[in-house]
Amino acid sequence: MERSGLPFVTGIVHEHITMDSFEDEEQGQGGSDEWLDVDDDPSKPFLRPVRIYGSRLARDKDVIAFEERAEEREWDIDDHKIEVLELQSRYDTDLHWGLSEKQVLKNRKHYGENFLQPPPKPSAFLKFFRAVIGGLNALLWGSAFLSFLSYGAQYIYTDRISNDNLVLGCALIVVVHISGAFSFYQEFKSSRIMESFKTMVPRSCVVFREGSRAEIDVKELVVGDLVEINYGDLVPADIRILECQNFTVDNSALTGEAEPQKRLSVCTDDNPMETKNLAFFSTNAVQGTAKGVVIRVGNKTLMGRLAKLACGLDSGPSPIAVEMNKFIMIMTIRSLVFGGVFFGLALAIGFSLIDSIFFLIGIVVANVPEGLAVTFTTILSVTAKRMAKNHCLVKHLHAVEALGSTSCICSDKTGTLTQNVMSVAHLFFNSAVALADTSEFVTGQQFDMQDPGFAALANVAALCSRANFRPGQEDIPVLKRTVEGDASETAILKFMELQMGNVSRYRVNFPKLCEIPFNSTNKYQVSIHDMSKTSDPRHLLVIKGAPERVINLCTTILNGNEELLIDARQKEIFNSTYVGLAKLGERVLGFADCRLPLDRFPLGYKFSSEDPDYLDIGFRFVGLISMIDPPRASVPDAVSKCRSAGIRLVMVTGDHPVTAKAIARAVNILSEGNETIEERAERLGCTVEEINPTTIKAAVVSGAELKLLSASQLRNLLRNHTEIVFARTSPEQKYIIVDAFQKLGYIVAATGDGVNDSPALKKADVGVSMGIAGTEVSKETADIILMDDNFSSIVTGIEEGRLIFDNLKKLIAYNMADNIAEMYSVWLFMVLRIPLPMGTIAMLLTVLGTDVLPAISIAYEKAEADIMKLRPRNPKKQTLVTPQLLSYTYGQTAVLECTAGFFAYFLTYAQSGWLPGDLIGIEKKWHSRSVNDLVDSYGQEWSYEARSQLGLTSQTAFFVAIVLTQFANVICCKTRRVSLFQKGMRNKKMNAALIFALALVGALVYVPNLNASVNLTVLRPEVWLAPLPFAFFLIIYDEIRKFIVRNFPKTVVGNHLDT
Amino acid sequence: MPKGKGDEGGFMKFLWNSDTGEFLGRTGSSWGKIIVFYIIFFAGLAAFFLLMLYIFFLTLDLQKPKWQMTNGLIGDNPGVGFRPQPDQDKNVDSTLIWFDRNRKENYEFWSKQLDEWFNEIPKEGGSDVTKCSFGAGGTDTYKDKNKKREQIASCFVDNKQFGECNPENKFGYRLGEPCILVKLNRIYAWEPIGFGLNGKQYNQANFPEIFSNELKELEKDIENNPQQGMKPMPLFLQEYIKKEVETQDHNPQWKTDFLNSVFISCEGENPADKENIGPISYYPHPYIPSYYFPFTNQRGYQSPFVMVQLKKPMPGVLINVECRAWARNINHNRPDRLGMVHFEIMID
Repeated sequence: MERSGLPFVTGIVHEHITMDSFEDEEQGQGGSDEWLDVDDDPSKPFLRPVRIYGSRLARDKDVIAFEERAEEREWDIDDHKIEVLELQSRYDTDLHWGLSEKQVLKNRKHYGENFLQPPPKPSAFLKFFRAVIGGLNALLWGSAFLSFLSYGAQYIYTDRISNDNLVLGCALIVVVHISGAFSFYQEFKSSRIMESFKTMVPRSCVVFREGSRAEIDVKELVVGDLVEINYGDLVPADIRILECQNFTVDNSALTGEAEPQKRLSVCTDDNPMETKNLAFFSTNAVQGTAKGVVIRVGNKTLMGRLAKLACGLDSGPSPIAVEMNKFIMIMTIRSLVFGGVFFGLALAIGFSLIDSIFFLIGIVVANVPEGLAVTFTTILSVTAKRMAKNHCLVKHLHAVEALGSTSCICSDKTGTLTQNVMSVAHLFFNSAVALADTSEFVTGQQFDMQDPGFAALANVAALCSRANFRPGQEDIPVLKRTVEGDASETAILKFMELQMGNVSRYRVNFPKLCEIPFNSTNKYQVSIHDMSKTSDPRHLLVIKGAPERVINLCTTILNGNEELLIDARQKEIFNSTYVGLAKLGERVLGFADCRLPLDRFPLGYKFSSEDPDYLDIGFRFVGLISMIDPPRASVPDAVSKCRSAGIRLVMVTGDHPVTAKAIARAVNILSEGNETIEERAERLGCTVEEINPTTIKAAVVSGAELKLLSASQLRNLLRNHTEIVFARTSPEQKYIIVDAFQKLGYIVAATGDGVNDSPALKKADVGVSMGIAGTEVSKETADIILMDDNFSSIVTGIEEGRLIFDNLKKLIAYNMADNIAEMYSVWLFMVLRIPLPMGTIAMLLTVLGTDVLPAISIAYEKAEADIMKLRPRNPKKQTLVTPQLLSYTYGQTAVLECTAGFFAYFLTYAQSGWLPGDLIGIEKKWHSRSVNDLVDSYGQEWSYEARSQLGLTSQTAFFVAIVLTQFANVICCKTRRVSLFQKGMRNKKMNAALIFALALVGALVYVPNLNASVNLTVLRPEVWLAPLPFAFFLIIYDEIRKFIVRNFPKTVVGNHLDT
Repeated sequence: MPKGKGDEGGFMKFLWNSDTGEFLGRTGSSWGKIIVFYIIFFAGLAAFFLLMLYIFFLTLDLQKPKWQMTNGLIGDNPGVGFRPQPDQDKNVDSTLIWFDRNRKENYEFWSKQLDEWFNEIPKEGGSDVTKCSFGAGGTDTYKDKNKKREQIASCFVDNKQFGECNPENKFGYRLGEPCILVKLNRIYAWEPIGFGLNGKQYNQANFPEIFSNELKELEKDIENNPQQGMKPMPLFLQEYIKKEVETQDHNPQWKTDFLNSVFISCEGENPADKENIGPISYYPHPYIPSYYFPFTNQRGYQSPFVMVQLKKPMPGVLINVECRAWARNINHNRPDRLGMVHFEIMID
């Protein structure tokens, strides 16, 4: 992979193999700063700042509330400070013998059991109940209630009982249950997938009780227990360490600290979270062993407390829920207004009060889109399913759209943007830097083993290593194999395995005689190998370590075949290379070798690692290897997609600013040519103060700097810089950043995997957790889980989310049109006093029958333009239901469909002898049973029975007309702006849905008994042709409308027609 | 949706924004443009609708319905109607004729309806009507399919032949002997098929056999369709038909035409009603002559009818009356109100 200015990473959040051997203990931030001597804030920024920023930052209400909670989270314990003996008596334990069985019971009773009480989850029934009554369903419940009311009133006050209202009410109740069950099932399925993740909780642990060692279930553990932890275990509870060897824990899940933490048996800090003699529940022991006493269990552990805090935050309604509420509001108001107007009108026309009330209810109910709830949920879940295929598991259906509205992503770095694996990025040999391929898919050799310079470097790299592949992995691709050893060594080993084929076989030829392991004083590692199997029996010494240390032990440098003395010029080349690589955020190691002279070190010489006498002979420097946690190959592409989609990308990482910046550059979060103020200053050779800050659009802000900013300063920072990287931030600061963006009106998606990220995830409009690396708690709080931890999955999610917003708009336009057309038919029925054009059951058959599948097929409609080139929607202006959309449905499509319906209606009447003019005003006589001789336009006299047959026929014709024009409508709804001819009819699901719907109408009209049961009747074939001209009219009109929208978007009419 | 104070101010401002001159979020000119758009849209749609309607009307014949009888859903089983009718504005579902013979304004409500009906009958001698009679070939004149509607005159209905049922007599309402007009629904091109003919000309030899067979068939039908409220032909009607047919005064053509008529009978619905209803007279006779059929929307066509007079109805009691029309192609169906009609009479 060819990339210029490769930046890399040192810290790895989920590196389970410690970098201990190359680290200074004080500097938890990974190697690069150490090698580089970058003088950055050496303080430990994690966790401690909670209180500090609280005093300076944002005074906003909820931030303060959060801070108060953060205060709560300050853990007031002294178990780490007190004397061991005091601890022993405090928990009635014995630090040699462990607890007695009796005391175990006592302590369990007193301090509780050791398991995390999951946050009170609503029961399945409650969830189902919520799904059934929530959202659009509330509207349907309202109409069902009104229907029953109307039926009841009819039952009491009149003797003409029609079952329509009863049927309607029952149908609505069935519908709410179906759509409720649907969304319930969808979320239930997601939560089932979640179950399979539960790996974070340790299963068993080693405990000492009554002097004997036993392995017990972690749940059995009680406060005061004496436990032993080995590397690879999850820490079973919060533990005060009594003794340990080289014990290192990975706290990343809990605190966000990138690097594994060394643990000691002495208290190093008053703050329990900083001190090194505590290990926390469910963190990972990555190295060494420890013995300790349990001081907190279950919910009282740090993990338990954090989990509980995060769950307490309220994230507010999702963007689509906001839209839905607006929609429901609009529908309710409109229903009432229309109902009210026609109630008045009915009274004025001279209907009785009771009849007018029936009209009122009829209009209110007709105005409610009954089918929308079902299709809405279905479209969301269809998209959710598609997103799941793209590794985006959607926990709540509403999050599907939320991703689409996202205007800002606060992304993690490690694992999300990067591969979370160290790999070799650059090599320096033969006085030149060579680039290595860091992509996830490398399989073969990259360099020429015949090159003497490279061969020497490879030799050292292969031999001077303690890392090994776990056995039995021959069939697995090299990059996927598990290695025992730290991250850097792993990277080098894998690189060498690819280069040389089989490193361990190679090593066998050169048995290791002696080894000086890495330590933080020397910062190098040496091994001496027996070369007796080769032609040159001199011992081979190989050394790797901090480059400046290694080169100081060297006298010559290898360049091709020649060995050059290290002079000032060579030193200069070395330095500039080293600094250059380090600036890319890479962890650099120097390599050297030496053939030990036989006279001083004859064969069989006993080398000592404690007292080396072979370090002064002047080695030969063979080169540098630098490593990074490289970005995922797909990320830069995804980032630029986000950028062209107008989405701000902010990196928020706990990592070092240099590394963060380098990765940000590599993945284009800091785009090329967009300098930070420091970079500009350096380039121009002036100080930071001399730069006009308004010209700077990129910034790298460290957690320490962030601490000093006030809320308004922070907002200015976010406003004035388009590209920002936050480095060395605490997870709490992530919350602050998310909040600040939201205050600026952004819809924020935040990624995170640690427990400490949970507040930010919850606060964000879309919380995104990681399926592989994410902790249980973060997954619990998140709305979406990236199953492959890959940032680019978010982008596909955004694409789907944007598409669904468009599609939901189309859905509403489609679904409401016939609803409104039917409402108009009721109006005209009232005003013109014509025979009933469409019965209640026929209305239900359209909105809950023939509409459903075509509506769902809208979900499969592809984007009409490159939606990823548009800016994110403005939640204030680009709402789901715009006045334009209402104007379009109420004023245009519905009117057209209604016209088509009436055309078919008048047509059937006219063919049987009733010309349109003679129908007007006839309603009362028409529907009167006592009138058995109503005269038509040809002088024929119609009995009541014959009239009802004819009425039924024309109602069927009206129904068919509505269905057929709805077909045209759904075809129009395929696009919002683009011409249909450009789009084509390639949505196979829609075509199938239309065919199915047609078959359904056919069955409803022609299947005997079925048609009678739904108040429809057989139609003459030519009646089906009647609505077709109107269907074509609709399509042609809509093409014209789209033409105006495309070509005159700025004009009043053009804007008004743009739904 | 939560509504803060700002929102309400916002709404008032939305209603009328004096700063920008915006009404409901739009300026006047902007509203104007949208209104113009909608005018054009609706005008276009209306024009299209009318055009479609016009094209459709080209396929229609304004003289005769495009689809007739069963095709046109009106069916081939005419309903029976009656006059006078109760006040449609007061109660649209009522079929109760309830009057006080002592109060003029009360019974005139009913008799006036029949007055009006009589007044609409075209007068004799007009160009629209012609006098028809059985066996005179009168029916042929308007059965001629080649003649246009304008050329066909309707058979004359003589309003002098209804005996006591005349306007001067207030149609009997004054005396508590109300006349009720019973008629058959007009169905384009429908013709009755008479009893005792087997679809052919009258034949003296086999008439009694055919007639009695047909009545038996009818009884079988009644057994098979118990819900329809069918009844056997009243004896008086059977006797009347037989008597008329057996009279030697008429030629066979007359008898054929006679038998092809639609016969009318009225009865009390229940045993009690039968008692209360008293004797019944039919004017001019208990049938609607066949020469009035078929109805083809002729000029001046007047629905033929039979006047049914209740000679001595029991006052102060509600009497259920059921009138039936009889022809072989008329089925009686009480739920569907075909071939028969039901009404109630109450005299104070």
